[in-house]
Amino acid sequence: MKVHIKHWNAVAQWRWNTGNNDQDDEGDVCGICRVPYEGCCPSCKMPGDDCPLIWGECSHIFHMHCLLKWLGTTASKQQCPMDRRPWVTAERKVADIPNNLS
Amino acid sequence: MASSAVRAQVAAKWQESFARLNRTEPGIAGLMGFSEAWSLATTFLKPYDLNNPTPKPQYDMRQVGMAFDTINKCRRLPVMMEVFLEDLRKSQHLIAREVEVHMNLYESDSDPETVRRLIFRLVEWYNAWKPTAELGQTIISAYTLAFQTHLFSILPASFARGVKTLVAATLERTISQPSDQHDRALWQAFDALSLIERYETLIASVGYEYIEAHVLEECIGKWAEPMLASLRSWMIDKIVPWMLWPFARGASNADEAKTMMQGVGSRFDFHMHKTLCDLRTREIFDIIVDFPDSIGALQDLKECLQRVDQRAELVQSIRRSNKKRLLHPGADTKDILLSYVSTIKCLRIVDPPGVLLFKVADPIRRYLRDRPDTIRCIVASLVGDGESGDSLIDDNEPIQPLQQPEMENYADPDWTPEPIDAGPDFRANKTSDIISTIVSIYDSKDLFIKELQVLLAQRLLAIKDGNLDRERRNIEILKIRFGEPALQVCEVMLRDMTDSRRIDQHVQSQKASIVHPTIISRHFWPALETSGIVMPGQFKALQEQYAQDFSVFKPDKVLRWLPHLGRVHLELELEDRTVEADVPPLEAAFIELFSEKNTWTVDELISRVGSVSRSAALKALATWVDRRVLKEDSENLFRLLSVAEEPTPGAKNPAPKPAVGEDELPPVMSVQQQQAEQMKVYWKFIEGMLTNLGSLGLDRIQAMLKFAPGYDRTIEQLGGFMEAAKREGLVTVKDGMWKLGK
Repeated sequence: MKVHIKHWNAVAQWRWNTGNNDQDDEGDVCGICRVPYEGCCPSCKMPGDDCPLIWGECSHIFHMHCLLKWLGTTASKQQCPMDRRPWVTAERKVADIPNNLS
Repeated sequence: MASSAVRAQVAAKWQESFARLNRTEPGIAGLMGFSEAWSLATTFLKPYDLNNPTPKPQYDMRQVGMAFDTINKCRRLPVMMEVFLEDLRKSQHLIAREVEVHMNLYESDSDPETVRRLIFRLVEWYNAWKPTAELGQTIISAYTLAFQTHLFSILPASFARGVKTLVAATLERTISQPSDQHDRALWQAFDALSLIERYETLIASVGYEYIEAHVLEECIGKWAEPMLASLRSWMIDKIVPWMLWPFARGASNADEAKTMMQGVGSRFDFHMHKTLCDLRTREIFDIIVDFPDSIGALQDLKECLQRVDQRAELVQSIRRSNKKRLLHPGADTKDILLSYVSTIKCLRIVDPPGVLLFKVADPIRRYLRDRPDTIRCIVASLVGDGESGDSLIDDNEPIQPLQQPEMENYADPDWTPEPIDAGPDFRANKTSDIISTIVSIYDSKDLFIKELQVLLAQRLLAIKDGNLDRERRNIEILKIRFGEPALQVCEVMLRDMTDSRRIDQHVQSQKASIVHPTIISRHFWPALETSGIVMPGQFKALQEQYAQDFSVFKPDKVLRWLPHLGRVHLELELEDRTVEADVPPLEAAFIELFSEKNTWTVDELISRVGSVSRSAALKALATWVDRRVLKEDSENLFRLLSVAEEPTPGAKNPAPKPAVGEDELPPVMSVQQQQAEQMKVYWKFIEGMLTNLGSLGLDRIQAMLKFAPGYDRTIEQLGGFMEAAKREGLVTVKDGMWKLGK
């Protein structure tokens, strides 16, 4: 017997690629607003591309809007709020993305 | 021995009396004259027997007049009257006999005409014995009083009944032939005997009963048109002419009659209103059910209630019939809601300030609050769930935001106090629309929003053709009602749907795939039932391929499949046939496994797809067995039918399974399930406090849980949860104190 699939209406969730491959995780939260990455920052209403994340070289990840707001304050001294190292946005290339779908 | 003084006194008295009787006549001529006059007058007045065949002797009225004159001059009239009344008393047995004869007859034949004859006869007696008018009003009224006193004392109880039927007969006659003067004599006879005064309430009751019967006959079950106007004109045309007889007798012109009728007329009018009001109060439940075909009856009721103070009775009646006919487990929640809406609309007509509604609605609202599916029902009708005919929402009603109860504006010049019978917690909500009223059954609208999300999720995931217009329209409408922020989550869900299509189009344009996923945003969809199934074979390959393509398009994102959701359209190529099927993923996964080898046991299958419950697995297999693709050879052993086989008779044939619903809703967790899920978190708190503090009362537990973040349950919900925990043996309760179980 052969099974031919004609059409598949599947359902999936999207996640930010944060390098966390745990299937059952509850999801990490943004260190600034404490809202899950897949949610949106307090000033946004739509999650996803409208409220993207920003990856730092120090490996910390935040909602982009949250981090920019933080960097906009003088108290931030342009440092990562988690480790106080100077904030450097990580360069991300498609090739860098590990294929985390085993 | 009498002294001379006594003697002198007696002599003086005698002289005085003699002089009075003899007047100034010579000798004793005056005395003689008086004696003659006396005997003539007394014989003249003496009551005689009408039944006596000998005719009444004729008197010369001039002589009689002179005789009375003489007696009057001698100032003996009072004595004569006493004698007359004594005679009257002696003759009363004649009347008693007459009454007895007639009433005996009436009791045997019950014919009101007998009573009529008796009354006429009594009048004859009365007139026959009546002293002449010349004797003055005093004597006549003394006579009348004596006659009537005696008469009333001998009339038997059945006479009242007789009068009633007789009066009823006159009423019938007046109504059928208004110009007929047949009964004039009877009413005059009634009047002569003062029977009208005596039986006034009786006569009125005849009128009341007649009106009652008429109202019932005309109005029972007729709700479409207002009846009051026609009833009023009926009263004027039919009842009033009759009422003129007893209640406006002796009126010389219309104005006088009107004044005399005023009191009794308004009593009759009141009675008519009351009868109608009582009737409508009894019928109110069905009137509400029939709304809007019963507007006439409601308008009548409104008018009647202004005339008759029956508001409390109306409330009682509605509450009683609601309790008996509506608020019981046998009634569908949808029906209760519909009935509630009708009640709102009806009582707004009857009582615009809403006091009645408030009193009636309270039990309904309390009952609805306790029903688990109320919110679901309301939400379903909010989004216009097409399948059920009547919607709660009137399409004509403008869509408007939900209204919050407002504080009263006392500065408003048109401010009026609350109606007098309003209870202490009455809230006038004059303007609020039906939906606001229904939504306000619950204290917060969050519950609705949550239920709405669940419903929307189910519907969105069930959409196959990608047409979102209807859902979008619904959400827009609901936004107006509930406000934009509340529906933000729904907005995200809708956007996920459109984004999914856009992404899919892009991915497909790069590399065609037969997978068309709906990509949803976590945290914005209601909890979807989790399941750990893993798609086997080519399905897995397809998933991986698509996920990779997706990541190329959206480098920052990855896909997590929810493999148990969605649907697969398949074509099975078997040796002698092809089978097309549209099935849920689990079914697809199983049949894919059968392409590896032809026979599988259930346990093998389950272990290949990861964790899936045995019953779900059997159900999925049954789908294929029903389609004659698989066959259960022995228990739990399934074989692929590469070549079609007729089901062998006598072989163990599984009982026909209920057809699997083709459009089963996706397994979104209901709000209740979600709540139960959340409650598990709070169980940890409860367990902790019971361990530390021993036994606690329910309100104490509630008070402590209030400190827990996000705890929003009512004490009733907590009670329900604790009961459930008790059933599982986790806790025990004694005298309202909860303790951890052993």
